Amino acid sequence: MDQQTKSRAFTGRREDSRLVTGRGAYTSDQNLAGQVHAVFVRADRAHATIRSIDTEEAAAAPGVVGAFTHELLDELGFNQPQASGPMKNGEGEPLFAPARAWLAKDRVRYVGEAVVLVAAETPEQAADAAELVFIDYEDLPVVADVRQATAPDAVQIHEGAYAGNLAFRSEYGDRAAAEAVFASAPLTAKVTLNSQRLAANPMEPRACVAAYDAESGSYDLWSPNQGVVTMRGTIAARTGRPADKVRVHPRDVGGAFGVRGETYPEYIACLAAARALNRPVKWTGSRSETIITDYHGRGVLLTGELALNREGDFLAIRIEWLADMGAYLSGHGPQMRIGAPGGMAVNSYRTPVVHGVNKLCFTNATPTTVYRGAARPDASYLCESLVDHAARIHGFDPAQLRRRNMIPKEAFPYTTPTGSTYCSGDPEGLLDLVLANSDPAGFAARRRASEARGKLRGRGLAAFFEPAGFPMVEQTTIQFKADGVVLNSVSGPSGQGHETVLPEVVADQLGLDPADIAFKFGLPDTELKGGPTGGSRTLVAVGGSLRNAGEQVIEKGKALAADALGVPAEDIDFDEGLFRHRSGNASITLRELIKRHAGGEAHPLDSLGAYSPPQAAWPSGVHVAEVEIDVETGVLQVVSYLGADDFGYIYNPAIVEGQVQGGLMQAVGQVIGEEIVYDGGGQILTGSFMDYFMPKAEDTFPLQLLHHNTPSPTNPLGAKGVGEAGATGGVPTLANAVMDALSTVGIGHLDMPYTPNRLWNAIREAKAVRAPA
Amino acid sequence: MYAFTYRRPGSIEEASQLVTEAEDGKLLAGGMTLIPSLKQRLAQPSDLVDLGRIPGLAGVTEETAGLRVGAMTRHVEVATNPLVRQHISGLAELAGIIGDPQVRNRGTIGGSISNADPAADYPGGLVGLGAVVRTNRREIEAEDFFTGFFETALETGEIVLSVLFPKPLKSAYEKFRNPASGYAVVGSMVAVTDGGVRVGITGAAGFAFRWAEAEAALGAEFSPGALAELDYDDSELNDDMHASAAYRANLMRVMTQRAVARL
Amino acid sequence: MTLSVSLTVNGQAHSAEVEDRTLLVTLIRDGLGLTGTHVGCDTTQCGACTVHMDGCAVKSCTVLAAQADGAEIITIEGLSPPEGPLHPVQDAFARSHGLQCGFCTPGMVMASAALLKANPDPTEEQVKLGLEGNICRCTGYFNIIKAVMSCAAKTGAA
Repeated sequence: MDQQTKSRAFTGRREDSRLVTGRGAYTSDQNLAGQVHAVFVRADRAHATIRSIDTEEAAAAPGVVGAFTHELLDELGFNQPQASGPMKNGEGEPLFAPARAWLAKDRVRYVGEAVVLVAAETPEQAADAAELVFIDYEDLPVVADVRQATAPDAVQIHEGAYAGNLAFRSEYGDRAAAEAVFASAPLTAKVTLNSQRLAANPMEPRACVAAYDAESGSYDLWSPNQGVVTMRGTIAARTGRPADKVRVHPRDVGGAFGVRGETYPEYIACLAAARALNRPVKWTGSRSETIITDYHGRGVLLTGELALNREGDFLAIRIEWLADMGAYLSGHGPQMRIGAPGGMAVNSYRTPVVHGVNKLCFTNATPTTVYRGAARPDASYLCESLVDHAARIHGFDPAQLRRRNMIPKEAFPYTTPTGSTYCSGDPEGLLDLVLANSDPAGFAARRRASEARGKLRGRGLAAFFEPAGFPMVEQTTIQFKADGVVLNSVSGPSGQGHETVLPEVVADQLGLDPADIAFKFGLPDTELKGGPTGGSRTLVAVGGSLRNAGEQVIEKGKALAADALGVPAEDIDFDEGLFRHRSGNASITLRELIKRHAGGEAHPLDSLGAYSPPQAAWPSGVHVAEVEIDVETGVLQVVSYLGADDFGYIYNPAIVEGQVQGGLMQAVGQVIGEEIVYDGGGQILTGSFMDYFMPKAEDTFPLQLLHHNTPSPTNPLGAKGVGEAGATGGVPTLANAVMDALSTVGIGHLDMPYTPNRLWNAIREAKAVRAPA
Repeated sequence: MYAFTYRRPGSIEEASQLVTEAEDGKLLAGGMTLIPSLKQRLAQPSDLVDLGRIPGLAGVTEETAGLRVGAMTRHVEVATNPLVRQHISGLAELAGIIGDPQVRNRGTIGGSISNADPAADYPGGLVGLGAVVRTNRREIEAEDFFTGFFETALETGEIVLSVLFPKPLKSAYEKFRNPASGYAVVGSMVAVTDGGVRVGITGAAGFAFRWAEAEAALGAEFSPGALAELDYDDSELNDDMHASAAYRANLMRVMTQRAVARL
Repeated sequence: MTLSVSLTVNGQAHSAEVEDRTLLVTLIRDGLGLTGTHVGCDTTQCGACTVHMDGCAVKSCTVLAAQADGAEIITIEGLSPPEGPLHPVQDAFARSHGLQCGFCTPGMVMASAALLKANPDPTEEQVKLGLEGNICRCTGYFNIIKAVMSCAAKTGAA
């Protein structure tokens, strides 16, 4: 691979100096002169026709400057249809993308759907006036979950959707081959799992500030986002404005996790109101609004079947995903649900035959989208639960069963039956590392000791291979300014440390000090092309682009050095910041060249980089965890967790570790307590932190993270994205550990979240079943 | 929240008068339960009468009959007070696990018991310890004070001044927290007194109560084992997505056993 | 229904006309323009709004500005001088990578500073319990606990 990363002691990030002193600039910290405050009136029921909306009293309330409905959006032409992706199934059937009014027009289809925007001089006045809006609804039957939605007599939420409230149905793999294998396989195993709906819950409640400039006819938006260019594009599309009349401004973003990459109805409504009022409109959502109306994560019913021979070789895997899309399609939801299941179908194994079915289903609930790992934790959860279940019912050791089926390191790059090409890896090496450091032999004794203290003990193993990043042109610039080097990108960070790591990438390549390099992201008027921050793509895509720009800097530098030294450019080498004449001692530093040619608007070394990874890189891992369940109270505790990951090439170990820890704790949340619960009428029962569990400091546990890296040949950094590995590895590992513990009392299946109430009740039921007559 | 008029009385008499005369008056103590409910627009009081400036309402004093805790005494004070820790350790434990550190810096015993949240900790503590509530009008035994779901014996204009806790021989509090809210799914205050064992339970039902069967069993044999076979008719217990009634009945036993085990 | 409050914030005396229902956090953020204190939830659980009021860590979203009349408030902006140096807790958070998006950080730092003031040499367990009133979604808390522990005074007990 290229240069070695300098090993730098971590003393903090560049971002920290403003963030630890309260000088972060989040969306709701923004105030514009003349601004008004918006409050949304939202659907209080899950499915109903709107007969009328009466805003007269609200509009006349003290301080109110306007009460806006779909009428305003229609007037402005702000209801352009959401682009449905190019997705088509094998029969040529496209994804069905329902029309959607960004402020509800004829119908509401989920609790929390925005109907009216009330704007007033103060937030309190807007909230007071919002209570004076009267909406006359006619209730419709509610389709509360995917089972109801796909039942034969189900009410159709959208006219024109496929039967059974489906937005899409697709298959992958070889149905006939799989049927043949299963028909004759000596051993099979099957699991049906629910990966429950979750709220991403970034700590920053969603908000926006929208403004309109009458003179230029352009719109400005400040909101949490995962990349201003991407959001500018979707806003332009949905409002029918040209992209150069839309400016999305970067802010500090208090957590994004995928869900803040969506262009929400509130943003469109606030932009419309700003236009109508000719005043900036500020909306600060509450936590309840964030829990209920930020698009949700996960939400899929998973079925998996494995066929094995008597020795334990995996012969075939069959997979079905029934995904809960919610009432409308989100921007990113469909793609992830269609791509990931097939892409990750065989996970870390050499399974030769695959067949899978995906169904994307509408329900009267908040739309779903990508959330930390997108669909990949669901894919790893299904595969690894299935492998553990097969091991348990057929008497295989879970580690040995995995080992004999893992893709051997000599086989990489490895192309799976569904066409994914894993770039590099060594799953067995990861497994060896995990087993060597987690004392598997001592588990039996540890289990007996736990049981003596009234606790069930379980040990869970999981392997995973996940795609990070995707082909997409990413542009960046390196500019040499009077006060230092400036990197420009369209990334949309929310805590990943872009301002720290990307300068290090450039510093390493050019032999400069990262402290002299500033990373800027998301300039609203940028012409740079690039993608959002998500899918664990930034180091590869933006880093790769900066590498490309850096190569041009070096080439340009050689020409300048040639001039300075009076030798041909082709006789000059560059290393560690120094241009050196190959066959002499003459040399000049890059720093000196920067200084010499400074002074103009542009600098001769300024460069534009472009890079598109040819394919995803494939980080992988093997994780193990041990848990205890207190039989008396059902309390689940993670006793220890060891993760061994292959991230290709690590630039900043502290930041990498932080990403894994954060993703892992989100997995913990899913496993031990988080769930968005709807009742049969489509009302959310978990609409605040009083009912929606969030992991706290006391939920931490002894954690060891190890690395066994095989550089990725797909990109010049050799790197593989790390942002989501904690979630993709954490969910199956912890779930397997819990199921292992529960198996000791005869429980074969239990869905997450493993709350104390659920565990205690399940254990009691199981013991009652097993009690002698 | 809805608009209201904020009142700052300098005396209990003034406070009582203000809250009685208001169209819909509410007393403000620490605000840790009242203010959140106002923010959710669950209540629309016309007047908020702040007890926070009235002198003499906070503090722990020792009397012949026990320890007297002023109504405006913050949870953190009860948790760390040397008299409480020495003489009624269960009460210090209870106060020390209400909410979180920031909430404990503001929340008060008077506010907590006046609100009578079935999942609050103090009610179980008062009932278990046999406390007596002193108001500006009378003294009320704990078991008579808590009457229903968010209901107390307090009349309009009646304000809690202090709570008297008799000193037990020993006491311990065990609480099972709702993983999301931190409130008590079940809390058990076990107190060994001259008059026998008392067990006060919170969280399990509509309001805090004494678990008579447990008291009898522990009176006969003071050990966790004495409760092993004890069942509780869970048909009257709270049942929600966080804890089934059967689970709560189980926790009543387990939390009480764990408190006993520490004594 | 407005009233006048006077309070000291980060060492500076302020007077403000507020509504009776105005929360302390609103006065701090909107009235005084100190936006380092954040609002993260509506049920007094997340702790992003934590400030020091008369020496105690409190959740400013659940205190009326009226209740803070006459009080001494320290916000994250007042924990250390603008020109530096950082408060040891702020420094520790940065060094231990105890923050990512930074939204929970001001409240987390204020809660940690108060914890350490009352208990300069806490155990890890005490730190975990001491941060029960603060929610973080990015870090998983591992490095936050490390940061606070790194500030703990070593009492020199062998």
